[in-house]
Amino acid sequence: MSQEAMSRRQRIEKALRLEKTDRVPVSPLITFTYVLRHKGIPQTEAEKNPDRVKELLYTTFTELGEFDAVSSPGVGRRHDFSPLQGPMSVRGAGKGLPDNAIFQYEEKEVMTVEDYDRVLEDGWDQFALELYCRIWGEPADKIIARHQKSESQWWHDLQLWEEKDIPIFLNFSVWSPLMILSCCRSLTPFTLDLYRRPDKVAAVMDVMVDDLIRGAIDLARSGGPRTFQLVLERGSAFYYPLKLFERFEFPYIKKMVEAFVAEGLIPVLHLDTDWTKNLPYFKELPKGKCACELDSTTDIFKAKEILQDHICIKGDVPAAMLSLGTPEQVETYCKKLIDFVGKRGGFILSTGCNCPIDAKFENLKAMIDTAKNYLPST
Amino acid sequence: MVSELTAAMADLKEQEVQELVVQRLQSAASPTALLKELHEGLDIVGERYSNNEYYLSELILSSEIFKQAAALIEPHIKDIDAKQVIGKIVIGTPSGDIHDIGKNITVTLLRIAGFEVFDLGVDVEPHAFINKLQETNASIIGLSALITPAFEPMKETVTLLNQAGLRERVKVIIGGGVTTEQVRHYVGADAQTMDAAEGVEICKKFIGESPK
Repeated sequence: MSQEAMSRRQRIEKALRLEKTDRVPVSPLITFTYVLRHKGIPQTEAEKNPDRVKELLYTTFTELGEFDAVSSPGVGRRHDFSPLQGPMSVRGAGKGLPDNAIFQYEEKEVMTVEDYDRVLEDGWDQFALELYCRIWGEPADKIIARHQKSESQWWHDLQLWEEKDIPIFLNFSVWSPLMILSCCRSLTPFTLDLYRRPDKVAAVMDVMVDDLIRGAIDLARSGGPRTFQLVLERGSAFYYPLKLFERFEFPYIKKMVEAFVAEGLIPVLHLDTDWTKNLPYFKELPKGKCACELDSTTDIFKAKEILQDHICIKGDVPAAMLSLGTPEQVETYCKKLIDFVGKRGGFILSTGCNCPIDAKFENLKAMIDTAKNYLPST
Repeated sequence: MVSELTAAMADLKEQEVQELVVQRLQSAASPTALLKELHEGLDIVGERYSNNEYYLSELILSSEIFKQAAALIEPHIKDIDAKQVIGKIVIGTPSGDIHDIGKNITVTLLRIAGFEVFDLGVDVEPHAFINKLQETNASIIGLSALITPAFEPMKETVTLLNQAGLRERVKVIIGGGVTTEQVRHYVGADAQTMDAAEGVEICKKFIGESPK
C-alpha cells in the first residue's frame, strides 16, 4: 500500500478543489441494492428492516477494504417524494417485480401537455405534489408522510457513519428542469414539445428552476454533506443538438450550479449518456467548485483534456466490466484512469453510474485496491 | 433534384409535409409514390444523422412526421404489396429490466425502414422471445437493456435459440446503454450497438445476409 498522508475527507475535498492528493481517492456509487444481492438477501429487506441493511452496507464497506467516501448511508433518501426530482411511476422488488429485482423507474407519460399551464399557475413545488398524488393514488398527507419517513431514515442511517468519521459523499439529488420534464412527459412527447411548443417549455423551466434552487438550498441548510447530485441524464448531445442544449439545458444547469456554489455547496453533475460534445460548455461553470460524474459512455479521457484544471472528474469503471470482467481487467482500466485522468489531481475513481447489482465483489475490490496501491506514472 | 415533399421531410417541416400530402392526395397522386418520396426524405434524415448534422431528437421528430403522413396515405393504398416488408424482427427488453426508451425508438425506426416488428415490451422471459420467433418466422431477435441483470436472460435467450435449432437462421442484436462488446461476446449475440439508427442498419445487413 502506498503511504497515506491524508484523511479520507481531506483527499476527497482536495480532489474536488483540483488540488494534488497523496493518492487518487476512490468512492464507488455502492448502494444497498448491491449489498443485498451480494449477501444473497431479497431486495424487499430494505423496506422490512432498514437498520439491518445499513449494518450490511457497513460490513460490505469493511470487507471491500474501506474506501474514501460512501455515496449514501443506507436505505433512506432525502429527496424521495420531493419536488427536487421528477415524480415518476416506479416498479421494484415486491412491487411488480421479483423480490430480488432492483427498483426501476417506468417511462410513462404521467404529465400532460395541459399540465404545463398548471406549473405556470401553481409553481413547480405545488404541481409536483399533485403529480405524486396522481401517480400513487394517494392524498397529499400520505405522500408527505412517505417523504418524511424516507428522510428521517436517512438521518438515522447517517449516524452510524458519522460516529466512525466516514464521509458520506452525497446528501441528496436534485434534477434539472429538462431531466424532470423529460421523465414526467416521457422522452418522445417531451422531445416533440421542444419542437412544437418551445416557448411554453422554456417558460415552465423558468418557473421550475427557481423552485428547484430554493428547495435544494433549504434542504442543504438543514444539514448533511455539502456535496449532492445534480442529475442530468437526458440533456446530452446523445439526445439533442447543441442549439437545444443551449436553450433548454445549459442555462438552467449554470443558474443552478452558480446558486449552489454561492451557498458554499458542491454540486456533482451526474452525467449519464454521452456528454462529450457538451463538455466545453462546462468550462463556464465555477472553477474547482463542482464535479462531473461520468458513466463510461462519455469519453472520460477527452473529458480530462477539456475540463482539466477546471472541474473534478469522477468515474467511470463500466458496469459491464464490473459484472462480467475480471479483477485484472478492472485493475488495468483503473490504472489507465489514474495515469491519464488522475494526472495532476482533480479525479475521484468511481463506478460508471451506480454500482451494478450483480457486480463481482472481487472486481470492486480490485478497483479499490488499485486506487490505494497505484500511484500515477510520472 | 428531390421532390418538394422529400425536401420538406428531410428538413423536418412538419406542417408542410402534412399539407403537401393532403394536396397531392386530393390531386389523385399515387399513394405509393408519396410514400416513396417520404422514404427518400427519411434517407436524407438518416444521412444527416450519420454525418452528425442531425441528432436523436431529430430522428424522433422525423419518425413522428412520417407516421402522421403515412396515416393520411395508407387508407388510399389498395395494393397490399405496396406495404412491403423487408424483414421480420422480434424485439423486447429482457426479464428483470423494465426500461424501454431505446427499444421504443428502435422499434419506430425499424417499422419506418420496412421491418415487421413484433414488440414484446419489457420484462420479457427468454422463452417468450423464442415462442414469438417460431410463431412469426422472424429472422432477427433484438434485445435491449439498461441494467446489467438483463445479461443473463439475454444469454439464456441465445441458449434457447441454439436448443431450438434456430441459431443458424436467426441473428441476434443487443443494444442499450449498458451493453458493450464484452457483453455481446458473453451472451453470444451477433451484434451490439448503443445507437438505434445504427441498429436498424445492422438489421438491414442481417436481412441481406440471411438465407433466401
